[in-house]
Amino acid sequence: MARLTLRFTGVGGQGVLLAGEIMAACKIKLGGYGLKTATYTSQVRGGPTVVDITLDDEEIRYPYANEGEIDFMLSVADVSYQAFKKGVKPGGIIVVDPNLAHPTEEDREKFKVYEIPIITIAKEEVGNVITQSVVALAIANEMTGALPHEKLIETMLSKVPAKVHEANKKAYELGLKYAKEALEKGE
Amino acid sequence: MAREVIATGNELASRAAVDAGARFYGGYPITPSSEVMHEASDLLPKVGGKFVQMEDEIGGISVALGASMAGVKAYTATSGPGISLKSEQIGLAFIAEIPLVIINVMRGGPSTGLPTRVSQADIFQARHPSHGDFASITLCAGSLTECYTQTVRAFNLAEKYMTPVFMLLDETIGHMHGKAILPDIEEVEASIINRARFDGDPKDYRPYDVPMNKPAVLNPMFEGYRYHITGLHHGPTGFPTEDAEQCEFNIERLVGKINTVAKENDGLDDLPDYEEVLMDDAEVCIIAYGSIALGAYEAVQKLRAEGIKAGLFRPIMLWPSPEKKIKEIGERFGNKIMVTELNMGQYSTEIERIIKRDDFSRLLKANGRPIAPADMVAKVKEMM
Repeated sequence: MARLTLRFTGVGGQGVLLAGEIMAACKIKLGGYGLKTATYTSQVRGGPTVVDITLDDEEIRYPYANEGEIDFMLSVADVSYQAFKKGVKPGGIIVVDPNLAHPTEEDREKFKVYEIPIITIAKEEVGNVITQSVVALAIANEMTGALPHEKLIETMLSKVPAKVHEANKKAYELGLKYAKEALEKGE
Repeated sequence: MAREVIATGNELASRAAVDAGARFYGGYPITPSSEVMHEASDLLPKVGGKFVQMEDEIGGISVALGASMAGVKAYTATSGPGISLKSEQIGLAFIAEIPLVIINVMRGGPSTGLPTRVSQADIFQARHPSHGDFASITLCAGSLTECYTQTVRAFNLAEKYMTPVFMLLDETIGHMHGKAILPDIEEVEASIINRARFDGDPKDYRPYDVPMNKPAVLNPMFEGYRYHITGLHHGPTGFPTEDAEQCEFNIERLVGKINTVAKENDGLDDLPDYEEVLMDDAEVCIIAYGSIALGAYEAVQKLRAEGIKAGLFRPIMLWPSPEKKIKEIGERFGNKIMVTELNMGQYSTEIERIIKRDDFSRLLKANGRPIAPADMVAKVKEMM
């Protein structure tokens, strides 16, 4: 596999950090290399947060995404969406929660922009807003084809407490369903 | 068999400490170093060690020094502002010759600066964290694996030379999460160095009565070998003195046991003090350390793909610096050297001092953001 770079953005406290860690760990368990770095502000909640994930079969040294080379970005906050979208390569995939991040017309021409109400899905369909990072994880994996779904679910379950396994499995399935629908429907 | 783990640099540094024999942690949490402490609180009780979160940074290093005086390998972790607070006790550790590993996960400064952002601006601080004359040992991790291996080394050097040792990480390397290949635990255990002890009659014990450039021999407290520990200049049994000859000898020995020994033996141990990447046929040399070297590896690859023969020189032991090698690089590459670091040129000044020239290029940044490989590539192209 060629190098794949993903970026998850949100605001502090939303839990976007975990999804990145799970993807990197899964790739490593499959014998490859994965690195996750997070950049955040000293605000405990509300500051823009960005997580860069690099996956490769070869060793990765520089842990941040190279600007303009990001394959996939997911955003659940406008402040971070606007700040970090320029890192995505032309023609790259962007997924936003349309209630929270607002791509411009120009963005829609430059990138493949999909809208999926990630937070609403977690809150209303799964019934636990914390599972938003797993909804996001499923969407990212389906849209990039980065990792086998069953392996990623396995890694994800090893990183969340047993009492929320069912909720997170449901979150993953819903993420997958919405991603497939979005891809079918087109940008 | 080497061990493959998935972890952050901070977690790995703490695991290394415990594997190297540390059984005491004293400290106070501060971003971006707190995970070193979290990991210590998890690991130490499981191996019969002790973990204490103190009321502040000063308390943290004080109890760690107390543990070390009692013969227990100890460590503390913090970031630049914490080192500033600890500096009085660090000075005590230098003059009283108390071994201690101090992990500094660097963030933007000065003062409280940029708490969550990366920096390498504590390079000078690590060389001279306190007033007075002494020489520091400072190691700098350039990968997740080195967060582990160099921390083990830091403990060994602290015990061998009876001195505080600085282990520098930075926000990037401390927080990045990925794969690290660690040496076998048996291999680590076989490498462990413990401080020298005096086993003779306690009446004859004179811990500071050692030859020039040799470290003091401090037996653990409370075992019947009585001596005095003070921040004042002291004589053979540790009691204060102002004797001119003794004071001169003390300072010469304190500096010499690190700097003179490193110069005479080409290093303080048998481990590499630097890494060279594609240097054999290189025509331009990038000098970088810590997390900035991660980008520099990629920059070297990109430059080579474009036909520019670049190499990377990465110091691991920053203080005392690998002088002989840096001098060689200065002579070989002339002005085709690019030093890149996340500060206003702290280590560049050391390169300048060694090669006695300032005609090389610098790529510096001090705004809390990393330096991208593309920026390094552009800078090198400007030089060609």
